[in-house]
Amino acid sequence: MRALCWNGVNDLRVERVDDPRILAPHDVIIKVRLSSVCGSDLHLIDGYVPTMKPGDILGHEFLGEVVEKGPEVLKLNRGDRVITISIIGCGKCWYCENEQYSLCDNSNPHPHFEEAAYGHCTAGIFGYSHAFGGYAGSHAEYIRVPFADNNCFRVPDGVSDDQAVFVSDAVPTGYMAADMGGIRPGDVVAVWGCGGVGQMAMKSAYLMGAERVIGIDRYPDRLRAAQMKAGAEPLDYTRVDVYDALLAMTGGRGPDVCIDAVGMEADGFDTGVEYWYDRAKQAVGLESDRPAVLRQMIQCCRKGGTLSIVGVYGGWLDKFPMGAAMNKALTFRMGQQHGQRYAARLFAHIEKGELDPSYLLTHKWSLDDAPRGYRMFKEKQDNCMRVVFAPQE
Amino acid sequence: MSAERLWQGGGQAGGHGTAGPADRWAAIMAGTVLGVAGLRRGDWVGLGLAAMGGGLLFAGAAGVPVVQGVRELGGARVASLLPSPSEEPTTVQAVVTIRADRERLFRHWRNFGNLPKLMDHLETVEVLDRTRSCWKARGPGGMQVVWHSEIDKEQENELISWHTEDDADLPHRGQVQFRDAPGGRGTEVRLTIAYHPPGGQGGRMVARLFGASPGVQAREALRRLKQVMEAGEVPTIDGQPHGTRRGTMKLMAGDMAP
Repeated sequence: MRALCWNGVNDLRVERVDDPRILAPHDVIIKVRLSSVCGSDLHLIDGYVPTMKPGDILGHEFLGEVVEKGPEVLKLNRGDRVITISIIGCGKCWYCENEQYSLCDNSNPHPHFEEAAYGHCTAGIFGYSHAFGGYAGSHAEYIRVPFADNNCFRVPDGVSDDQAVFVSDAVPTGYMAADMGGIRPGDVVAVWGCGGVGQMAMKSAYLMGAERVIGIDRYPDRLRAAQMKAGAEPLDYTRVDVYDALLAMTGGRGPDVCIDAVGMEADGFDTGVEYWYDRAKQAVGLESDRPAVLRQMIQCCRKGGTLSIVGVYGGWLDKFPMGAAMNKALTFRMGQQHGQRYAARLFAHIEKGELDPSYLLTHKWSLDDAPRGYRMFKEKQDNCMRVVFAPQE
Repeated sequence: MSAERLWQGGGQAGGHGTAGPADRWAAIMAGTVLGVAGLRRGDWVGLGLAAMGGGLLFAGAAGVPVVQGVRELGGARVASLLPSPSEEPTTVQAVVTIRADRERLFRHWRNFGNLPKLMDHLETVEVLDRTRSCWKARGPGGMQVVWHSEIDKEQENELISWHTEDDADLPHRGQVQFRDAPGGRGTEVRLTIAYHPPGGQGGRMVARLFGASPGVQAREALRRLKQVMEAGEVPTIDGQPHGTRRGTMKLMAGDMAP
């Protein structure tokens, strides 16, 4: 089959590889119909996440059809149209039982990297480096899914492929960001990053009762989409001082909930010196993540407010304003998404017309064009929100 | 060497002049411990300890006879503070919490025939009678190593303890304990293995037999037990497709592993 393989920093190639096969009793094989790019892939492609091997297949947000199943798969059948949560839970450990699937004890076959770096190992993730299990990704004609009964969700008839594919990752990540914010009626929610996840967080914040949602970015088309599609008040951080603007918009209080949908490759934001300080440290390996968004959120958040972090961080960061965070009594919530907890609820929102993530799909391309698709996505050309590959076409 | 001597310790004196492998090992270990302890203190005393640790580590690596020097210099009191690996057995321990009740885990482990599924180096374990079993393992270079073990202590659903019989080339002892975890989290399983560290001939072989480190082997055995008992399979990616593997694994800028 054809698959998109990582070959080194910014070196992607479509290669011919073996078809996947059932390797364990709870596996299924899925014929991939749609497979989306994701902002977190850029950290891998750019080389900020260690333990990538040349030849690794990328992609973790996908929809397809079950074509083969292992002997112990009970809930799924051949022909089922399913999405798969991008983070794999075994479904049986204490964390999975408590709906914290991305903390699964068992799904990462290579736990040693994370145990050494993080103290514990977390769940395996499709196409997301060997530290996270080394599972082959979905930018391919077929993919093997382990623990399928726990990770695959049948798509209801009333939900289209284009709507459903993002329930793999972008929608539950945004939804969980809002959920972790503990939003209460009257709350003002500020979301840093107006990409797919950020916009889903905005929509979700409204669904959970937010009074106002503010979206922060610098790309005009994304700010426009956040405003038109997600109902957010746009804030261009290249034009205004984010702190001044947020305080002005909230009567001097600051947002009740601040959501980070950017992560470790944060842009310059408004402080040039700070950006180049972080960039330089990152380049020589003294700091792995650039925390511009985090610093700004801590500064802006109202006293006693909540920071909810779903933008991805990999290693260390520097000059973390702990004094402000502690004295303002901020609450920090964070984590990779527990999509299995939300999938049914999200499909229900989509069926009721309360949520329609399909507008994120701005480009549907053949898998052969995947390297070009990632370039476009990374450089945010052509108003690209998400390129989604259709490997069967 | 009998299993009893594992607990009592055997004798092996180092020669004069150059450091034997045991002394080098001791220097490396002591150096590492001092170095880490020193760095953790983070003050001037700590810095001194760290420097001393670094010196010991390099001396150990280079084969400088430090241990002996320290023994002669500081007398018995100082020497007794340093590990003397060829004389004392080393104990490794691993612990894991498994979402299963004690009874089920105890039964699984009590049937030693299940152990090869948990430990890579074991080929088979044949149960001979209520307490005795015959273990076959792949040693270095594919060589087969065979020994007999005897269960010397068994408390229903709580503890199993075993040791190799007198004729074993690689004497060691093992013990597994099962204890309820708080809050309905399942069972805490603790595996302890005592063996001779690198130094003695037997110790070296045990180390190689168990893989790079017996501590890692113990941890991996419990990890497998957890995966099998909880998830019903050992997660794997062996046999999945990939593109051309050009070069070796690259660790990128911003590597998070120490």
